[in-house]
Amino acid sequence: MKVRPVMYGERRVFPVAAFNRGVAWYLGRLPEVWVEGEVTELRRADAWATVFLTLKDPASAATLRVTMPRGRFDALDLTLADGEKVQVLGHVELYEVRGDLAFRAATIERVGVGDHLAAIERLKQQLAAEGLFASERKRPLPRFPRAVGVLTGKDAAARGDILTAIGARYPAVRVVVRETRVQGAGAEASITRGLEALARRGVDVIVIARGGGSLDDLLPFSSEQVVRAVAASRVPVVSAVGHEQDTPLCDLAADARASTPTAAARLVVPDAREVRGSLDRLRERLSHVVSSRTERARERLDDRRRRLRVAPGLHLERRRAGLDRSGARLQALSPRATLERGYAIVRAHDRAVRDADAVTLGDTLAVELARGSLTARVTRVDAGGPG
Amino acid sequence: MSGDERTFEELQRELDEIVQRLERGDVDVDELVPLWHRGDELYRECSRRLEAVELQVEELGDDTRAGSR
Repeated sequence: MKVRPVMYGERRVFPVAAFNRGVAWYLGRLPEVWVEGEVTELRRADAWATVFLTLKDPASAATLRVTMPRGRFDALDLTLADGEKVQVLGHVELYEVRGDLAFRAATIERVGVGDHLAAIERLKQQLAAEGLFASERKRPLPRFPRAVGVLTGKDAAARGDILTAIGARYPAVRVVVRETRVQGAGAEASITRGLEALARRGVDVIVIARGGGSLDDLLPFSSEQVVRAVAASRVPVVSAVGHEQDTPLCDLAADARASTPTAAARLVVPDAREVRGSLDRLRERLSHVVSSRTERARERLDDRRRRLRVAPGLHLERRRAGLDRSGARLQALSPRATLERGYAIVRAHDRAVRDADAVTLGDTLAVELARGSLTARVTRVDAGGPG
Repeated sequence: MSGDERTFEELQRELDEIVQRLERGDVDVDELVPLWHRGDELYRECSRRLEAVELQVEELGDDTRAGSR
């Protein structure tokens, strides 16, 4: 590109526009480079074609304005926060109208993300191989805890959400809250101490409540120390860390995970209204079974009393019938019936005579007939044969 | 009963067992009344424990200012 100066005698003078065009052309020949700095003043709007941010050198006050086409920026899906360290690939360019220098970004990468992710993945493989995430290790959560431990940061939202959710479902529980550092230096030790302190306090279950955050923010929850502390906790742990899409390793080591504080509350406490309902149903069954049992016992008692009352009469009747049967049988055995058929009973010396040898000539015999009797004398005896 | 150290769950389980035993019908009539009283007592204790209207929150110190290591 040729930029023509205006000549004032010996002096070559460039109009601003021409100068800027010249510089822009010159800068445009510089190669693409990577620049590293911290993100500040990130400005993005749906209505704008360009995203603006300023890169700051953490070691000095030096800054560099960065622009990037919004479509390309959105495609990266970085959700950058102020202060995050990034590396930007691009080239410098001049905004000719204003003579402003800006770095035109082709891509942006969060520094260390790759390293962090790789380290987390390695740790995950290692701990999984040790069986720390095995489903057999998961303990059931208590259905009716007396005390719930809540481990939370100073993040008022997560803390408020979980307390509100627990209070709304099951206010009959004691909640022990332990505030810890949840990010930055010392967070891992603080979280571990918090878990121990809550367990010592005798809570029946612990919820780790931490709102969403960047990968960096949630790093302590994927640290070996915290993951091991969660796995080793004497008390069952529910991990409610980050949002649905985040899976810090402590989620895998916990006995249960919840995507929101409200979901965590549902896991750790029952719904008091449901409990009350089932309790009332039990009470109804108790009353019903007792009253029906009592009623049956009363009916049986009444039945016995009735039977007791009629029993003596029945007894007499039965005796009477028995007696009548005996009388009939007695009647049948009476000799009178035999006499009616023409037989007679012959007695001598007051004994029935069965054998002719039992009498001698001249003996007096008493003969009993069906009707009346007579006296006879023996005038002849014929000795009978045997039988 | 209100000094009962057992958990809500244990109390409710005992109540459940009493009801089931009574429903099976193998309970002597002499035992009915004492069992009913026991059940009623368990019910009252469980109800009492549910009656809390306000969450009891205990703060267990603040570790956020502890020195970093």
